[in-house]
Amino acid sequence: MKRLLSVALGILTAIGGFVDIGDIVANTETGARFGMSLAWVVVVGVVGICLFAEMAGRVATVSGRAVFDLVRERLGARLALVNLLASFFITFLTLAAEIGGVALAIELATSVNYLLFVPVVAVAVWLVIWRVKFDLMENVFGLLGLALVVTAVALWRLHPDWGGLLGGAVHPAVPQGEGHPSWWYFAIALLGAAMTPYEVFFFSSGAVEEGWSRADLITNRLNVYIGFPLGGLLSLALMAGATLFLEPRGIEPGHLSQAALPTMLALGKLGLAVLLLGFFAATFGAALETGLSCGYSIAQYFGFQWGKFVRPADAPRFHLVAMVAVAAGALLVLTTLDPITVTEYSIVLSAAALPLTYLPILVVANDPDYMGDKVNSRFTNALGTVYLLLLGVVAVATIPLMVLTKAGS
Amino acid sequence: MAGRVLEAALQLLDRQLVDKHGRLAGKVDDLELTFPEGGGPPQVTAILAGPGALSRRLGGRFGARLEAVANRLREGDDDHPARVPFAVVAEIGSAIGLGVAKAELETDRLEAWTRDHLIGRLPGAGDAPD
Amino acid sequence: MRRTWVAVLLLVAACTGPVRSSGVYESKAGQTAAAAASAVETAMLAVDGARGGKAYGRYLTQVLVEAEEDAGSAQGTFDGIQPPDQRADQLRGRLDELLDQATGTLEDLRIAARRGRFAELPELARPLPKVAERLGDFAEAHG
Repeated sequence: MKRLLSVALGILTAIGGFVDIGDIVANTETGARFGMSLAWVVVVGVVGICLFAEMAGRVATVSGRAVFDLVRERLGARLALVNLLASFFITFLTLAAEIGGVALAIELATSVNYLLFVPVVAVAVWLVIWRVKFDLMENVFGLLGLALVVTAVALWRLHPDWGGLLGGAVHPAVPQGEGHPSWWYFAIALLGAAMTPYEVFFFSSGAVEEGWSRADLITNRLNVYIGFPLGGLLSLALMAGATLFLEPRGIEPGHLSQAALPTMLALGKLGLAVLLLGFFAATFGAALETGLSCGYSIAQYFGFQWGKFVRPADAPRFHLVAMVAVAAGALLVLTTLDPITVTEYSIVLSAAALPLTYLPILVVANDPDYMGDKVNSRFTNALGTVYLLLLGVVAVATIPLMVLTKAGS
Repeated sequence: MAGRVLEAALQLLDRQLVDKHGRLAGKVDDLELTFPEGGGPPQVTAILAGPGALSRRLGGRFGARLEAVANRLREGDDDHPARVPFAVVAEIGSAIGLGVAKAELETDRLEAWTRDHLIGRLPGAGDAPD
Repeated sequence: MRRTWVAVLLLVAACTGPVRSSGVYESKAGQTAAAAASAVETAMLAVDGARGGKAYGRYLTQVLVEAEEDAGSAQGTFDGIQPPDQRADQLRGRLDELLDQATGTLEDLRIAARRGRFAELPELARPLPKVAERLGDFAEAHG
């Protein structure tokens, strides 16, 4: 019974922790401009992250070491350094976006300017990283993030034309008045939002933090294969809400408040309150994860002690990196750069960096020295390779499309 | 431990160093090789770890910058990167196990400095994660 | 090699003369109208929410403040562009008239919301649907 409960908890926290500010922005903006025609990208992204997260989790579970830890051993110092620089930069940008997102969520609830909350949020994020036990942190914010289920509830209560929504998703076509380059640019952004690099690093390091062993392999798989797709459904619910309310009116969402309109109109005050809680939990949880991931990636490359499973005094440089990253992220937001814009850039650049961040995972997961008999199956390798090829194409196309579409405008 | 062939030594590079308590103590950033008197293959006499060692291996402009940072962070005038005598190595697996605690190693200088001057001063730094 | 590049650049620069400006100006006008329409439609949805008692005052205020800012900044950006010719002048005149209507109403809504007078919002928002429609038509015609 206890086992069942813990598995259920793992799945629920995976669902609640899936959506972050990148997904909120990407799905709302895409739904408003392109309806459901890019829903397939979310599906592709979810399958991709399931594939690589399971791999990264398996690596950590079987070898006892986080996947990034092993990248340097397997690929050499130089290649691993390139990987580190790309991953760290992207994760840092995402951290700044999440901190901005938390501040925006609080602004929506209080009507006080979001900039005033940024320092408070940064200190709170750091305090949780410093003091709160890892699994408590994960469970609390994962479960609170489940509040975002309200987007699906709102959708259901609207009794929308499901046929129309599904039709738009299943027969993707660039809507009238929109160009192909913009469509593909948004596809890249959606992919980057669904397959954010930090999630895999965090998942792997988290497995070590929580002391997973071979006995937890099945739990790892259940969390990923059930939790992540259900989380992806929440992303699609956001897209559908935007399709129903924003697209027909030509609303171009540039504010977090607009992402809340569909739920507000469908469910009223209670729905809105739950949604704002969900926005807060999702972004705060992601800020924690990205802050920690900044620490994990640097520490795991250079080899110094990392993790919340030791006293902070025993992992001083790890905590220093995380602290500086959070402070720097907050400073970036305080420059009054629009957090939504920071988010947009972070997801697109994430997509461009994906091959660099995912290739090492595939390599390490195939290494019998670390994995023993739990190396990738042929099917996993085949699918993984297909994804890497796809991500390679995406990476090459990103910057030209960004220039061509003026970053999607 | 002495007498291992050079190719095997190269396999040691970039591996994780783990001290006798299971704590992470850096990576094998470089190796110190000594040619024995009287000929024969070079022997690994020490593991070099830390930004100074890594920067030399990485080379190029990035390596030079990293080395400049490392030199600034190092106390005293010694110009050499942190050195772990090979005699201290207890076990070679996918990670390199050491027979001593990391506090006894030169490689712990930066970590100790960070602990003593920055992180260790914050309240709760010494609290066990429970 | 370098001379070829300079020649290419000069040619490209020459081609971005007055002819292109007119078309660019018109499309900028269209984009501005679309942005303003988006702000107006957002405000309309917020007012719908107010009418149905569906949202908290703070949230409604935030939405209306942002809508006013969006419309205002779209107008500000557009007004800052130099109209290249007389036809552009006329375009600018027509669009500014629409934008003034939009921003005026959005301002009234923002002021009322900030004062907590949410019951007045539906009445104040009466002109919005017409403005939204005209802005939308403008955007389609010139975007």
